Formats: sequence, structure tokens, C-alpha cells
Amino acid sequence: MDKLLDTFLLMLEGSEITLEIFFVTLIIALPLGMLAALGRLSSLKPLSRLVEFYIWLMRGTPLMLQLLFVYFALPMVGVRLPDIAAALLAFTLNYAAYFAEIFRAGIQSVPKGQYEAAKTLGMSYPQTMRRIILPQVFRMVLPPVSNETINLVKDTSLVYILAMNDLLRVARTIVQREFDMTPFLIAAVFYLAMTFVLTWGFKKLEAYYGKYDN
Amino acid sequence: MANTITKDEVMLRMHDIHKSFGALEVLKGIDLEVRRGEVLAIIGPSGSGKSTLLRCINKLETINSGSIEIEGEFLAVTKENGQAEYAESKKERQLLGCMGMVFQQFNLFPHMTVMENLLEAPMHVKGLKREEIEPYAKELLAKVGLSDRADYYPSQLSGGQQQRVAIARALCMKPDIMLFDEPTSALDPELTGEVLKTMRELAEEHMTMVVVTHEMAFAREAASQVIFMAGGNIVEQGEPEAFFANPKEERTKAFLKNML
Repeated sequence: MDKLLDTFLLMLEGSEITLEIFFVTLIIALPLGMLAALGRLSSLKPLSRLVEFYIWLMRGTPLMLQLLFVYFALPMVGVRLPDIAAALLAFTLNYAAYFAEIFRAGIQSVPKGQYEAAKTLGMSYPQTMRRIILPQVFRMVLPPVSNETINLVKDTSLVYILAMNDLLRVARTIVQREFDMTPFLIAAVFYLAMTFVLTWGFKKLEAYYGKYDN
Repeated sequence: MANTITKDEVMLRMHDIHKSFGALEVLKGIDLEVRRGEVLAIIGPSGSGKSTLLRCINKLETINSGSIEIEGEFLAVTKENGQAEYAESKKERQLLGCMGMVFQQFNLFPHMTVMENLLEAPMHVKGLKREEIEPYAKELLAKVGLSDRADYYPSQLSGGQQQRVAIARALCMKPDIMLFDEPTSALDPELTGEVLKTMRELAEEHMTMVVVTHEMAFAREAASQVIFMAGGNIVEQGEPEAFFANPKEERTKAFLKNML
């Protein structure tokens, strides 16, 4: 019983890294994704193209490769980041690209009539975006954002290859040491608990923002 | 400014308006004039350019050449090179602010209640405080018969109710000219009546209105002037009584025969 408790506590410690990567990535990638979406939709062609290229690059290569690149290749050109920062850089750049595409689709699905109504009422473009378009976009993108967010919980386990002691690596270490599979099960329960909380939270958000469309 | 305005004042004057979408010329030199308190009804088959003409008035579409004058000031003039040029942005904002618009698809803001829809622009464009404008908004809701729906979301209302809210929302900015783009075309037949009634009441209060419509009864009874458009031109125009009783042009006759 003591052993189980020890395992549990060790893994709780491991989930700190997991949660840190999760939250920091989310907090930076969401607004960054929104900026990228606006850039992608900009009438400034070079900006739109640049963002399109960035999205293509991030979605077209494995996140694992991006992690390895930031971790091993950047130091060769003199950019040496602390482990956690390297991981966060790769994660935020990658997730912002996915969020950008979700936000772009959301913005484009708001009917043209909404812009026209705002315009005939004298609202400026920033005002229209902030007060009319984006609130509707938030509502519409909640399901796909929820999906990506749950993916992110699981993707955090990729830092395993950077020898960072996240939840999965701690589990693996104990399994190798004790020849006992229980830590894997506990890890599964940890991931499930996190995704459960997220699913619940997004459901609440959808209900709140859904109050106006029945 | 209001006290210097006479009843004959020209509220809107358009001259030689040309508008193309790519190679397709949809407006081929339109002239029109609307005086204070007049209701201009624009009718015509679909594709005749009547909605485009209306949307040119408040710059939802930009014209290629011609001139647009709002209350005696130029919104757009044609330069010597033949291209229309719009007023500088401050003047443009002021002139566009004189006009309110009601759309075929209502275009209410779905994430806001009826009251929030009405207050949005007065508070965030004009910078009024809530208590400065809310009484007027309530008055308008009463006028369109929806006082009890202030806290509803648009999705909870019928099409006719939504359109009446849209009219109240536009009026809440106290426009001098109201533009209506086929306001009843998206409504079930039994709901058009309530919207037309609201529009008739506005006309009786001498609101200056430009209405693109398929409702011949409305054009005949509420309009002071009717324009029939086809193929990007004004085919015929006149006062409703004469226009509907004795249309002169063959195209007008054929169109009216189909509508009635």
C-alpha cells in the first residue's frame, strides 16, 4: 500500500511538468492563433502568405520533429534554451497554427450580413470584430478548440523524448525499476482525469455561450 | 442644422450612377432624387439592379462613376478622369451616419438581446450612456409592438418580430433617411403584414424612406414616388396612383401584370 502511495506521489510530481506545458501552451497559443488567423485573413497579401507558410510548416511536420529541432538543432546555431522553454516554444508554435485555422474557419462562417449591419450602424472595423464578430466566433469554435485542447493534454507526453520528467516518463521509469505495470494504469487515470475536467469545462462554456441559439 | 431644413429639401440626390461587377454593368446611369418626408419605392424584376442601387446609397457597394449627395453634401463625386471619388473619411462617416438600413435577412446580432441590439450602436458608436438612450430604445420597442421582448434573443423571435427589431435598431441611431432592402422577402406571407404596418407608420410620421420591395400594395399606398427598374436602367417613374393605373412603358405593364 505504501509503495502504491509512493508511486502515486511521484507521478503527481511528474504531472506538474505535464500541466505546466499544457497551461502555458494554451495561454500563449490561443491568442497567438487568433492573431495568426487575422493575419491569414488580412488583405495585406505578404502577411497572409507568410502566415499561410507558417501554418503549412507547423501542420505539415510532426510535433515530435519540431521538438527535436528546437531542442537539438537550435543550440547548434547558438540558440540555447532551457529544456522547458524549448519544449514550450515548439508546443506553442505548433498549437497556434492549429488554433489559427480553427479561428479562421470560425471568422469566415459569420455571415456577411453581420459586417454590413455593423457598418450601417457606423461601427469601425476593430469595433465590429471585437463586439460583433469575435463573440460569435468564440461560440462556434468551442467544439473544435475543445478537441485540440484535449489533444494537447496527450501531446504533452511527447516531451518524454527530451528526457523531461513528465507524467509518462515518471511512469515508465517506475515500471522499468519495479517490473510492475501499475504506473501505466495510474498514468492513464491521470490523463483521463485531466481530459474529463476539460470536457466538463467546455460543456459548461458551450451551454453558457449557447444560451442565445436554440 | 435641423431647423434650417425646409420640407422641399433634397435629402438624397444620385446622378448618372454607374456600377459594374467585373464585366457586368448592373447600373447604367441612374438619376434619382428624394425629398424630406418622401417615400421612394423601387420595384423591378430580380437582377434589375434595384438592391445594388440601394446598397450604393450607403456605400455597401461603391460606385464606378456618378455622384451621390446626402442632405446637400457630396458623399461621392466623379473626377475628371471619370472615376468616382468618395468624401474624406470624417465627412463620409458623418454622411453615412445620416442613414439607417434594414436588410432582407434582418442581420440582428444573435449574441445580444433585443435591447442590447438597440443600444449597441448608440452607446459604442455615439458614446451615449445607457440611461441617455434606453428610454428612447424602449419607446421604439413599444412603437414596433415588442416592449415585452426586450430581453429575448433574436433566435427566440419570429421573422416578423426580428424584422421589427431591426427597424427599431436602425431608428435608435436617429437617422434622417431609412433604407429598406426587400424587408419582407424573407418572411412568411402571414408575417409580412406586421412589418409593412410598422413601415407605413414610419411613412406617416414623414420619415424619409427608400424601399426596395416586391410588395405592390405597399408601393401603391405608402409611397410618394415609384421607380420601376429593369436591366440596370430606370424604365419608368412617377407618383403611385398614375404609375399603377396608367403605366406607359410596355415593360412596366408586363411586370405589373405578373405581380398583380
